[in-house]
Amino acid sequence: MGIMDKARIYSPWLYHLHCGGCNGCDIETLAALAPRFDVERFGIQLVPSPRHADILLTTGCVPKQFIPMVKRVYEQVPEPKVVVAVGSCACGGSLFYDDAPENYAILGHPDLLIPVDVYVPGCAPKPEAIINGVVQGILKLAEKRAKK
Amino acid sequence: MVDLIYTVVSLIVIVPLALFLGVVYSFLLRKLSARFQWRVGPMLRMYGDLKPLLGTSRLLQPLYDILKLYGKETVVPDVSRRRLFVYSPYLSLIFAVAAIFFIPFPGMPLLSGVPYSLIIASYLLIASILFTILGPIASGSPWAAIGARREVELFLVSELGFVLSIFAIAIARQSLVIWELSKGAQSVYLALLTVTAGALMFAAVLGKLHIKPFDMPEAEAEIVAGPYTEYSGKLLGTYYLSKAFLLYGLVALFISLFLPPLATDVLWLPLYLIAAFVLVFLLTAVQVLNPRYRIRNAINWYLKVVIPLGLLSFIIALAIWLVV
Repeated sequence: MGIMDKARIYSPWLYHLHCGGCNGCDIETLAALAPRFDVERFGIQLVPSPRHADILLTTGCVPKQFIPMVKRVYEQVPEPKVVVAVGSCACGGSLFYDDAPENYAILGHPDLLIPVDVYVPGCAPKPEAIINGVVQGILKLAEKRAKK
Repeated sequence: MVDLIYTVVSLIVIVPLALFLGVVYSFLLRKLSARFQWRVGPMLRMYGDLKPLLGTSRLLQPLYDILKLYGKETVVPDVSRRRLFVYSPYLSLIFAVAAIFFIPFPGMPLLSGVPYSLIIASYLLIASILFTILGPIASGSPWAAIGARREVELFLVSELGFVLSIFAIAIARQSLVIWELSKGAQSVYLALLTVTAGALMFAAVLGKLHIKPFDMPEAEAEIVAGPYTEYSGKLLGTYYLSKAFLLYGLVALFISLFLPPLATDVLWLPLYLIAAFVLVFLLTAVQVLNPRYRIRNAINWYLKVVIPLGLLSFIIALAIWLVV
């Protein structure tokens, strides 16, 4: 493993894309970054611009109004990138989606729009589960490099 | 001849050394601010069972960040002025590296002995920051434009403090050569000037490095990532690289001007490093203890506190020059 591949594993930067959730997963995501779990130990940082990110962390069920924004943010993240869907809504739509959207305003889970690499189920998932999801994302990131 | 060869060799050696020290200072900034916030921060020694996957130490975490950015795709927006957008990070890096050639390191005078090296170094440091303003303006993003405008406003006042502080020292010691300033003997009067002008320079360094009360140019979550919003991949990595050099350069300049003779002989190296770590610790303490100022408050603070302090330093410097 070269130094560049190592650097990719050592410094994954997260961009938190909230696409229409209830804020439960977002609070748990922030808990993962706060003192108790502190993912900065492993070099993981929350970045303010999607152009700086390696890992896109999405939470919530996508409303129809949010479709262009989700697509655009995904396209703004430079390659190689990984998408981690956090929470039941982001994994399968939860109670908002059953074969078809349960509500006229809802599109469904973000997987219908952008390719999701890792799913973290739970309503809301614990910070431990989110950290595990991010670690799976990092491993996928390393694989993506190896394929090139 | 021997001197020339030594200078050339030291100019080659200082670049990786400055990068290493800049990276270590940035690591300290991150680690100490994490400790202040009751977090662990980047780990100095990784947990035993995670070592195979995550490496043994994260001392070079900022360097890993930069290397990773060099391995990523670089996105150049269509609406940007392409040439200025792409070249600005590299020019910023070149000026930052050029500036460190004029600042002495223990055992290596480098080019700090050339006439007017104080003015050359301060111009090069200013030029490096100038290109962190020009590139974002060329990016065509409103967030970058707001960030760059804030940076210009902050730059005007913090630069004034910087210039007042270095010229107060230069007047008192009757020299514009950093090497002479860095080896001069101390006296009681100069110690008084060191306190006032040193505080002034410290305030200017806060503004130049965007340390917490003055981080409004990059205000995360407020104006996305400020000037760096549109930058990605190699270009962002280059900006981070120039920031590491700038951090090293400003710390080295502070020590060589205000703590003589620490930056002269190689025997002072341990004390030099301790002084640098103390300075970084103070910068971190200011960063974690303060919220972000609005730009108006920052300018007011500089005008009310820093400029009078600068004038006081000037009066002391003139008194030393005329009387002592």
